[in-house]
Amino acid sequence: MEYVKVTYPTRRLVYIDEEENGYTNEVLRVEAGTHVFELGNLSNFRPASRKLTVRDTTVLEPLEIPFYRRQDE
Amino acid sequence: MSCAPVAARLVLLGWALLAAACASFTPNPPLAKYAPDAGYRFERLERGDNSDELFVIVTFSGGGTRAAALAYGVLEALRDTAIEWQGRRGALLDEVDVISSISGGSFPAAYYALRGGQIFDEFPDRFLYRPIQASLIKLALWPASWLKLAAPDFGRSDLAAELYHREVFGGATYADVIARNRRPFVILNATDMSTGSQFPFIQDQFDLMCSDLAGVSLARAAASSSAFPGGLTPLTFRNYAGSCQYRQPTWVQLAAEDHASRVNPRRTARAENRLSLAAEGPARPYIHLTDGGVADNIGLRGPLEAIASTSHPWSVLQMMNRQRVKKLVVLVVNAATSPATERDRSASVPGLIDTLTTAATVPLDNYSFDTVELLSKTMNELNTDARLVEGCNRLSARKGEQCALKLPAPHHVDLYPIQVAFEYIASREERAWFKNLPTTFELPRETIDRLRAIGRRLLSEDPQFQNLLKALNGCLAGSGKAC
Repeated sequence: MEYVKVTYPTRRLVYIDEEENGYTNEVLRVEAGTHVFELGNLSNFRPASRKLTVRDTTVLEPLEIPFYRRQDE
Repeated sequence: MSCAPVAARLVLLGWALLAAACASFTPNPPLAKYAPDAGYRFERLERGDNSDELFVIVTFSGGGTRAAALAYGVLEALRDTAIEWQGRRGALLDEVDVISSISGGSFPAAYYALRGGQIFDEFPDRFLYRPIQASLIKLALWPASWLKLAAPDFGRSDLAAELYHREVFGGATYADVIARNRRPFVILNATDMSTGSQFPFIQDQFDLMCSDLAGVSLARAAASSSAFPGGLTPLTFRNYAGSCQYRQPTWVQLAAEDHASRVNPRRTARAENRLSLAAEGPARPYIHLTDGGVADNIGLRGPLEAIASTSHPWSVLQMMNRQRVKKLVVLVVNAATSPATERDRSASVPGLIDTLTTAATVPLDNYSFDTVELLSKTMNELNTDARLVEGCNRLSARKGEQCALKLPAPHHVDLYPIQVAFEYIASREERAWFKNLPTTFELPRETIDRLRAIGRRLLSEDPQFQNLLKALNGCLAGSGKAC
């Protein structure tokens, strides 16, 4: 089991490999491997998506995946 | 010598050859266009009063009628288990979300998918107490069957499927299960002979072959799941891959790209298996399925993937990440035996059949043992991670406010791995009796009744089941406690 924390200034839906998978700023469990992370609802975030290989994480040190507000919002 | 008898024989032979040529396996229908919002899929089934918060997975192992009767006994016990959940009093059976089954266990599973609670009125006479084995042998000895069996694409399991279709499942197909539109999501598992991988009878698997599961009979699915090697033949299915504009889920390509880095070979293998089946349409126009027990005799591998992976057609991990699951119950009903042997009382070299049987069954039993161990490991991992974070937060807080950590924990789920297996029978004599029951499609009525009763008793004695009952203010009627 691997652990990720997708961060964003507000609570947003997190999509992993195009499937709804919990919310931002929470520790989520994923299987090791390459995944695509996106946020749901509005598209006022950057980058549009992040493709990352998740490995060697622990629950105390999840992989942090930051998303930011888009400047033009 | 007159020509008349010769001519008559030739005509008869001609008819026989014609009949054999006409006999063929019942083909699974093609899927005109891939439709992810249709077909037999977990997310398509109505939940009704069944909550996701209490998520119950049940697995039924292989083992012929022995396994079917044990599984049926557990279903009866779940029906009679009263629980309190979300302010309602109901039966634990109504909270079962998924059933994954193998071989003999696939008969009660399929029947429950089709008829729901009516299984308790119908299934014993339709299957359990019926001399299925004798019917199969009689059918195989019938001259009309010989003609059918002469066809190269029609085997003994096709004959068996015809019998189950008529006599057990009343001509039902998956379209009837879809029309019922109720949980649990019932997954009958067979084994793809060429790849050795598990082959679940769900639309997600049939999508890869561009075939419509709705047109497949439950009998054919059950026959594939229980095509015990040697006694019963594999069944043939058509592979129309490439003809329905199928699109793989996103994770498949990502996992395939991980091949070289070997970051998760198990996930990569699942992806590559999907890609090869979908891509091999013209090169592999037929799929041959044998007993589900060849790949996994307890039906637990699929549920384990669902619990540990977000890349699964009915991922429980996704539901846990979405905080929809509060209690996860995994009930494994395992009818495995270990028959006593006289082999070691003599210096004689064991014979060929004994050796081959050992070679065929021992790896299966060892694999089943490892699968149950993997369930414990997965459950422990899920239990430990949230507790570890809570422990760290508590320890750091003791060092003073300036040291206090507020680490976020993953969603906490209460876990209940429950096992019903003969090895948990306390009395050595009674345990030996159950562990020496044969694998057959016919058992004496009193044996079936004992199997039904032991299923119920073993469930009620399982420590995790007792913990679950405490948590749900529940009780199992007839287990010595008043409900």
